[in-house]
Amino acid sequence: MTSKYPTIKAYIRPDGSIGVRNHVAIIPVDDLSNTAALGVAKLIRGTIAIPHPYGRLQFGRDLDLLFHILSGTGANPNVYGAIVIGIEDNWANKVADGIAKTGKPVYAFGIEGNGDLRTIEMASRKAKELVQEASEVQRTEVDLTGIQFSIKCGESDTTSGLASNPALGYVVDKLVDLGNTVMFGETSELTGGEDIVANRISDPTLRSKFMKIYNEYVSVIEREGVDLLGSQPTEGNIKGGLSTIEEKALGNIQKLGTRPITCVADYLDPVPRNAGLCFVNTSSAAAEAITLFAAKGSVLHFFTTGQGNLVGHPVIPVIKISANPKTIKAMSEHIDVDVSDLLELKVSLTEAGERIFNYALRVMNGRLTAAEVLQHDEFSPIKLYISA
Amino acid sequence: MPRFAIHNREDNVGVAIEDIKAGDEAQGVYIEDRSMGPVIKALEDIPLGHKIALRDIKAGERVIKYGRPIGVATRDIKVGEHVHVHNVKSIRWGNLARR
Repeated sequence: MTSKYPTIKAYIRPDGSIGVRNHVAIIPVDDLSNTAALGVAKLIRGTIAIPHPYGRLQFGRDLDLLFHILSGTGANPNVYGAIVIGIEDNWANKVADGIAKTGKPVYAFGIEGNGDLRTIEMASRKAKELVQEASEVQRTEVDLTGIQFSIKCGESDTTSGLASNPALGYVVDKLVDLGNTVMFGETSELTGGEDIVANRISDPTLRSKFMKIYNEYVSVIEREGVDLLGSQPTEGNIKGGLSTIEEKALGNIQKLGTRPITCVADYLDPVPRNAGLCFVNTSSAAAEAITLFAAKGSVLHFFTTGQGNLVGHPVIPVIKISANPKTIKAMSEHIDVDVSDLLELKVSLTEAGERIFNYALRVMNGRLTAAEVLQHDEFSPIKLYISA
Repeated sequence: MPRFAIHNREDNVGVAIEDIKAGDEAQGVYIEDRSMGPVIKALEDIPLGHKIALRDIKAGERVIKYGRPIGVATRDIKVGEHVHVHNVKSIRWGNLARR
């Protein structure tokens, strides 16, 4: 009997999660430790350093979110094992403990009392072991179910709402029906369509949680009293023909497919592997949203673009999908899947959606995306407020 | 061949799926069933992805796309005109912008 699931060749992690890449991640806890992390990555082939500007004197929920993102990135199923480096031992250990809960190998190092050079040496010796171990892990055939994905659009234009987003919506429905999780976010960019999103959440508790998150986000923006029309829609959006935030939002939500929204996650909430379609509170900045999705376990991100966004991530492949024939021609090296024939109505929505789905299967099986090859390794933790 | 698409039959704007030049008689198409819609004479160039008015829209009237208001006309718009930030503004965030 054949399974109802398509299969992929992927990595099964000790906690049962499924990854599509096999990275050894070098994770600095703070800005000061970026140099040592980059030093290890320079010495040891097959490692990837994940530098970022934060981690000092953050406090409260903002600090919790940084830990959530750093531990979550190391815990991501696409990571075989991780090295954590911090200026002080305590926070490095805290991040490493979060990763160790998945059962994967992780080692933490503090730079104080050692200096960069000794730390780089100690960390590099462990990183070398991890890379050699990782190189022997084989891909295994698994059903395409219980896997986490994420979606976002960027540098959108009206071709996103007309073609690339509806085609992605087809893929989202298919992944949800197979028992996977698909995360979406972009809280502020739902403005003008937030009622449509809310109405797709049947559980009243989850619906009010979503509306509370949405209203709080928008109130933070409006409290600043600034000219938001200068940034929403963006200059690229306007060039592409989008006139207002409402128009952008209605195009944005075309990619959510048609299934009910069965999960609502705030910044610190975990997202289960079979949650279905899941709203995650994120900013609408591409790298910030993908960084949070990956920290919550997404192993593959689908990214639709009109005018041409470049974003990638250090540990998860980002598939770029566009329907804008001008962008596809001008920025061909960044686009993985061309659905401009859907814009021109030469193919059906199903054909365009299947094209994206089949490409995603190839990427899950190991094909590198444009963003991976072009070294777009953006890692941008969301920062909630000022540091102390 | 259709040159602009209409998301919803209630919409008063369509979206160019290729560059439309001023003076062109452009054919529209409804997305939902791909049936042919109105033919509109473009009064201005409408670049790929930009909106064309399907009927006259008065200043203060809502601009409808996806069957939903996406903004409000800031001046009278004639059928065939380019509809964009110069003649439509957000309903939600338009007031904040003027502060």
